[in-house]
Amino acid sequence: MSVYVFSRSPASPLFFVTGCSRPIDSSPAVTVEHKISPEPPQIGPATVLLKLADPAAKPISGARITLEADMSHAGMAPVFEEASETEPGQYQARLKFAMAGDWVILLHVRLPGGQSLERQFNVGSVRPN
Amino acid sequence: MRAPGLGQLFRWRHARPLLQLPLLIVSVVMILHGLFGPTLAPKNLATTLSWLHFRGVLVLVLLGAGNFFCLACPFMLVRQMARRFFKPRFNWPRRLRNKWISVALFVLILFTYELFDLWSSPWWTAWLIIAYFVTVLVVDGFFKHASFCKFVCPIGQFNFVASTLSPFEVKVRKPDVCVTCHTKDCIRGRRAPVSDLVTIRGCELALFQPSKAGNMDCTFCLDCVHACPHDNIGILSRMPGDELLTDPLRSGIGYFSRRKDLAALAVVFTFGALLNAFGMVSPVYAVERWLGKMLHLSHEAPVLGLVFTFFLILEPVVLLGLAAWWMRMSAGSQRSLLPLVVRYTYGLVPIGFGMWLAHYGFHFLTGLYTVIPVSQSALANLGWPILGEPRWTLTGLPSNLVQVIEIGFLLLGFAGSLVVTHGLAEEDSPGRPLRAFVPWATVCLVLWMASMWLVFQPMEMRATLMSG
Repeated sequence: MSVYVFSRSPASPLFFVTGCSRPIDSSPAVTVEHKISPEPPQIGPATVLLKLADPAAKPISGARITLEADMSHAGMAPVFEEASETEPGQYQARLKFAMAGDWVILLHVRLPGGQSLERQFNVGSVRPN
Repeated sequence: MRAPGLGQLFRWRHARPLLQLPLLIVSVVMILHGLFGPTLAPKNLATTLSWLHFRGVLVLVLLGAGNFFCLACPFMLVRQMARRFFKPRFNWPRRLRNKWISVALFVLILFTYELFDLWSSPWWTAWLIIAYFVTVLVVDGFFKHASFCKFVCPIGQFNFVASTLSPFEVKVRKPDVCVTCHTKDCIRGRRAPVSDLVTIRGCELALFQPSKAGNMDCTFCLDCVHACPHDNIGILSRMPGDELLTDPLRSGIGYFSRRKDLAALAVVFTFGALLNAFGMVSPVYAVERWLGKMLHLSHEAPVLGLVFTFFLILEPVVLLGLAAWWMRMSAGSQRSLLPLVVRYTYGLVPIGFGMWLAHYGFHFLTGLYTVIPVSQSALANLGWPILGEPRWTLTGLPSNLVQVIEIGFLLLGFAGSLVVTHGLAEEDSPGRPLRAFVPWATVCLVLWMASMWLVFQPMEMRATLMSG
């Protein structure tokens, strides 16, 4: 599974973070795409949209997803939120970025069949308000 | 050392290894977790313990007690074990018996910390610890005495400077006893009667107790305490910062006023404190972007180099040079600029220490409890969940409370610098102390205002996006 993140251009007015999350477990067969708004990300509330699909690109419904948002520096409190399914295979969670800087979002996913998987993606340069 | 329990502990010859062993075990755990554990800094013991707990406890112990971290240094335990098998043969080269190498290493560590965002990388943090062990073994494997501690170790130099403000000092109890002592065991070591072989080591940092003044270069190793046949050396209380006010001939050091290398160390200590804090707040990215754009530089290293040059060279030269010039004009000081700068640089140490306390204290206190879930997780990942499920919501003290403590540290540092520079001015210009004092007080005020501004800036920590 390829991992891609749109590269950031400092001059670009749009910082659009979307892409595939990186697997950190041994089950790469499930694809997890993510999108964060607002763009560019800033301190305060943010909406994370997730799409889960199986190898045949069929949406995976009924998964339980917990998001954990950590900063890149030790000592900062992680933020935990549960995602809710808005459409088959599409999930949404609201996070709050408490500080500017680089964040890492960990996805703890429990699939309908009971299988667990972990994913990770980076949210770079959350800006001050 | 007359305190019940503690006194007996410190007088025991094996007190140092007893204190070093737990820190050695912790260091090994940090290395292993840094290399093989989670790649995310908040979840790894290497980054959590190094950049939160070690730094925070270090500065608080220096403030409240003394250089006890050098006493418990795990690197020295490994070195001592290695010396049972490999005896060093050489003396540290005479031309290098100064602080320039350690000043350069201090700057290098600050630079690589920013450039490679060491605080965000368990792997690099582990390798930094490993590199430290290797360097100790190489330096003290070839060179006798405590060459690494005295001339190389950047952490040690930080501790030496900060401990000039500590309330305790290893010193002689009754100077009269030393006058009648002919064996000088405190520096020569205790020797066997016939063979003259050293049975208890004396000071490896060349600090002869009767003429030792202050904590500079003292690792609190207590070799002198154990060697003294008269039980005349102890860890005694004193007025913090007193040693910055005087300029006696110090054993193993010379005169502070003639040591440009020590003054450079004090400059890096003080201005480096602001620099290190500046690297974590939002405005630094705007400055780096502006510099990159102005100079058409796209890589961070040269831009960071410019920031470092400004903070550690230009800014001190301008501020201290102007203050020295002003003092000469207003107070009629006969000393030339450089000796004046060297003399008064030591007066800035308190304000530098205040900034280190504020910065490291912030991270330590706001992340105080994070070692608990990280440890829980580490054990659970090994299949030993004996500490239960990780409680990731545990962090530390609220940041608004910690900010008050930070301001307190900065005020303490500012007051300390004013006291020291006033004392120096009174000595230099007894007829016109205020005229001598005002230029240096102005420098202290500028640094204090910069520190206060930094404390109120929003934190923004960016790292190269981790690839795991």
